[in-house]
Amino acid sequence: MYALEFENVTKRYGHEVVLDDLTFIVRPGVVTGFLGPNGAGKSTAMKILLDLAKAERGHATIGGTRYREMPDPAGAVGVVLEPNAFHPGRSGRNHLRILADGAGIDPGRITELLEAVELTQAADRHVGGYSLGMRQRLGLAAALLGDPPVLVLDEPGNGLDPQGIHWLRDLLRERAAAGGTVFVSSHLLAEVEHLADEIVVINHGRLVTTGALSTLQKIGTAVRTDAPDRLTQLVSAAGGTVDTGVEGELVVRGFGMAEIGDLACAAGIALHELAPQAGSLEELFIAWTHDDNSTAEDGPAEVGARTDKQGALL
Amino acid sequence: MTMPMLLRGEIRKITTTKLPWTFLAVLVVIAALNAAIVAFGTEADGSKAFVATAADQQSLMAFAFNAMMGTSLFGAIAVAREYGHDTVVPMFLTSPNRTRAVLAQLAAILLAGAALAAAGQALIIAAVATALPQTPYGFLMSPGDVVQLLASATLAGAVGAVLGAGLAAVIRNVGGAVTAALLALFVIPPLAAQLISSAGSWIPTTLSGVIAGVGTDVSLWAALMAFVAWAVIPAAAGLIAVHRRDVT
Repeated sequence: MYALEFENVTKRYGHEVVLDDLTFIVRPGVVTGFLGPNGAGKSTAMKILLDLAKAERGHATIGGTRYREMPDPAGAVGVVLEPNAFHPGRSGRNHLRILADGAGIDPGRITELLEAVELTQAADRHVGGYSLGMRQRLGLAAALLGDPPVLVLDEPGNGLDPQGIHWLRDLLRERAAAGGTVFVSSHLLAEVEHLADEIVVINHGRLVTTGALSTLQKIGTAVRTDAPDRLTQLVSAAGGTVDTGVEGELVVRGFGMAEIGDLACAAGIALHELAPQAGSLEELFIAWTHDDNSTAEDGPAEVGARTDKQGALL
Repeated sequence: MTMPMLLRGEIRKITTTKLPWTFLAVLVVIAALNAAIVAFGTEADGSKAFVATAADQQSLMAFAFNAMMGTSLFGAIAVAREYGHDTVVPMFLTSPNRTRAVLAQLAAILLAGAALAAAGQALIIAAVATALPQTPYGFLMSPGDVVQLLASATLAGAVGAVLGAGLAAVIRNVGGAVTAALLALFVIPPLAAQLISSAGSWIPTTLSGVIAGVGTDVSLWAALMAFVAWAVIPAAAGLIAVHRRDVT
């Protein structure tokens, strides 16, 4: 059982801070989605985990061990990072043979995996002629070559057709159910919503939130009042966030129902409804990563906790 | 991952692209040109004096410097393409020990360069030997001379390939690596020889002549050591660059 641990990971490219004191844990036995806007630092975080990039500060480990210190990294961790990391003049089968040779993996796995990703017919064609979806399937076959207990996948669903997405979802769920660690970054929020048990959200290289998706989706309170502007000002001033729900209700995050009720009561605002609100991942993602740059100016988030845009722990 | 496993993977990388076969095809053309020169070429007086002695024939067939030049381009292209296509990512994932991964890559390139150069020299010897009966002179070189030509070309091919590969690991771009290899072999050595006259004895053209038995500027052992340094220095630079940089 391998947990992935990021501890105070900081990375700069020149003066730009790409990852800023990033700390979180990815647990085995569940599928963890890794979310963030473009340029949030997801790929860099994965590269640091895999020792392809060096952190200025902090470290990332797999089962308590740095990737470069693992005795059999290819047998322990399957990786999809770059969708085009193939020589276009080489066949798909030869690409896998090279990886199997280097890692000492039984070549019999190649045929098995080509069948699993439905590339048997195209296995001896040059990868340069593959579609994006076929290259993605080949990348997944490469990741699974050593039958690893840990999967680190950067946008693995890109270019896959619906059948491919379905196959990938089943595969990752099976791996997690068998005790594997599955860490998947994706821009396809609907897909992550179907797939992930837990999520890690980063923005500007900093942790925004992490935890069980089902729990996070319930963090929010629907409020109806005839003084929405006053309540919004009140909640915002106190450090919470307020959005407008699909039916015009206020969606308050950052405070529990009792705290909202107390705030409203103290201000003499009548509340007509106060109820837990479940949001879609897309709504939550937009709220979490709303770009006002304030997260970069606040203190670091704590593992397992959620911070709002002002940095207040929820 | 053991070194033999990594080396096997790196050798398969080389043999599963068209690059080595393209270079081999060029070598066949060069050998055919050598045969044509022997068969149809003449001196200004119409004689075939350029193949009249064993030393003349050895000088004509000496392929070491050309082998070094060709394999430097081979090494530069093979390694720079790895970076261009991001296929170094799976390489460093398989072996996060970067020293070991780069050494396996350089060893595979060295073997391929040596094999290409040996094949090129053998093709040239065979082609010239085939053409010589059409001249008044037979094949005059001794078996020892033939072995020396083959050994020198093989060494030069290995050195050239590692030189190109080392530069490519630093530059990571095919155009830049090829340009650097050409500069290292064609521009910098003559410039150095002009600035410091004694440097002329240590440039690849002179050293390859010594190890091929057609030059005497320095001793054979000194030439061998200096020749190997032409590979070791860029290889070390490549290794340091790979260690210092992120794989992106």
